[in-house]
Amino acid sequence: MSAVLHAHPESGPALGITPTGKTRRTLSEAGMRGRWWRFALILAITAIVLVPIMVTVILALTPAPNSTTTGLTFENITGVFTKTLAGVWLQNSLVTTLSTVIVSVAVAAPAGYVLSRGRSKAVSGYSLLLFVMQSLPIITSVVPLFILFAAMGLVDNLMGLTIIYVGSTMTVATWMMAAYFDSIPISLEEASWIDGCSVFGSFTKVVLRNSLPGILSTAIFAFLLAWNDYLVAIVFLRSNEIFTLPMGVQSFFQQNLTDWSGVMALAVIMMLPPIIVFAALNKYFSVGGIGGSLAGR
Amino acid sequence: MSSTTTSSGLARARKGLAPGGSGGGTGNRKSKLSAQTSRTFFWLLLPSVILLVLIHGYPLFQAGIQATHDGNLIQTGDFVGIENFQQVLSSPAFWKAAQFTLLFTIVGVFGSWAVGLGLALLLRTKIPAGGTFKVLLLLPWVVPIVVSSTAWNWLVATPESLIPSIFRNLGLGTPLFLADPTLAAVTVMIFKVWVSFPFMMMMTSAALASVDNTVYEAANMDGASRFQQFTQITLPLIARSTYISWILMTIFCVNDFPTIYLLTGGGPVDATTSLVVLAYRTVFQDFATGPGVAIAFLMTVTLVVVSVILYRQIRKSSVE
Repeated sequence: MSAVLHAHPESGPALGITPTGKTRRTLSEAGMRGRWWRFALILAITAIVLVPIMVTVILALTPAPNSTTTGLTFENITGVFTKTLAGVWLQNSLVTTLSTVIVSVAVAAPAGYVLSRGRSKAVSGYSLLLFVMQSLPIITSVVPLFILFAAMGLVDNLMGLTIIYVGSTMTVATWMMAAYFDSIPISLEEASWIDGCSVFGSFTKVVLRNSLPGILSTAIFAFLLAWNDYLVAIVFLRSNEIFTLPMGVQSFFQQNLTDWSGVMALAVIMMLPPIIVFAALNKYFSVGGIGGSLAGR
Repeated sequence: MSSTTTSSGLARARKGLAPGGSGGGTGNRKSKLSAQTSRTFFWLLLPSVILLVLIHGYPLFQAGIQATHDGNLIQTGDFVGIENFQQVLSSPAFWKAAQFTLLFTIVGVFGSWAVGLGLALLLRTKIPAGGTFKVLLLLPWVVPIVVSSTAWNWLVATPESLIPSIFRNLGLGTPLFLADPTLAAVTVMIFKVWVSFPFMMMMTSAALASVDNTVYEAANMDGASRFQQFTQITLPLIARSTYISWILMTIFCVNDFPTIYLLTGGGPVDATTSLVVLAYRTVFQDFATGPGVAIAFLMTVTLVVVSVILYRQIRKSSVE
């Protein structure tokens, strides 16, 4: 079972979205009716569940109360870009999130390799340490880090934000990478050693090269975490032009409480990137990776 | 790093890496091989260790210092020993927040599990466009909390909002979802379940996918009812995954800040103040670093103990 939870293409259905395939019953008349009954049920549930998201999109595309346009419009969305710092916030969010993703993977992949291949007490101790750290409330580290970063000029600074995001993603990211590497047979590496490859060489040339799904899965996890963060942002960001999108949405909210069209337009801008990433890459993101990696180890 | 190694050293290193592959080497050679591999491992692990020390180790150490001092964000004050902890543990606000955190966590974990499990079971059966539903149902988890809390706010916050209006039109009065303490607590928990059930659904779906269908065929032959099959076969077979998802969700719920803070800010009258929200407000709004960190520290200690115990359990059950 643990193998199925790995983020590996052959070992588990991505998100479980593979067709169930083996139907247990023949599709009798009653079976068909049951199918449509279940279809109706899941349709109703999905519709209710998605109300908040649909509301966001509809309001964003509906003309503001003081607008002269009718029908669906993009003027709210273009409006937030011209009237607010939305463009800057979007850029800040993208820069911070992408840096987090790249650095997290760059740190977690080698560490995960050691966790996967290492057999010493120190390695399993480190593995436990990572597990414990990922479960700690980030608020504990935030206060001391705020004081440290203030002294270093890293408060109200995107680099400071990125460092904390990398720190908080790398624990789980390392576990995810390790779980993925576990699924790569060591015999592949042994072949490369015979060809004169070093341990480091076989890691980069053999293991990493075969780890795209694992890397993508870890990257999506880091992306979602950094893109969605609010706690670290609210503590560390002070000025408007350094805000990331979550802070932007919130600031906007407080200043223009009645301007729901504007808030929702910004909200739609903020939810698009994760949805796009997920839509494009969800087959690599099996079982939220997170649970999978814990289950796999 | 590899530039400093000789080719024979590398050969040993490679052998040392292979599990149990001593290659007929003597004990002496074996230790050399592992030394070689260890060196590579050391460099591969180093960035991770540095980050762990900087972002987790150092702050934890500092938090220990701050929790035992008075003072504020600008200056650490005098050493006060366990005074901050005494102050925190004797304040009704702490216990109220602890109580709410406990309730929030229980509802969050089992609520999202129940919904996620139900949907996973439903989606396991053959449904037209089942895959599409699976992706759509993940959206609450993928959409940023800042966005969804804004939408929820629009739906419930004022008497004129959509859902209170619907209640009014049905003749059920006009509930003030975020202004009434009990209703606000309920709303926050429903919101949390809404955010979290997709994660549970993913975990459960994956676990269910690994269950062999022939087990059910056998059970059908033996005349086991649907309910019996569920409790006697399905649940035990996905037990480990379920267990892990509960652990993770517990950690997510206890540490959750934005879900609560963005929807209610901890109000009304502190009705939805969890420990994280309380710690945040104590430090950044009341500027009482000591007590704030003390709260965070108490949470930390609890979570460390809990997660070490649970880690052992996972390890143990994976050996089975």
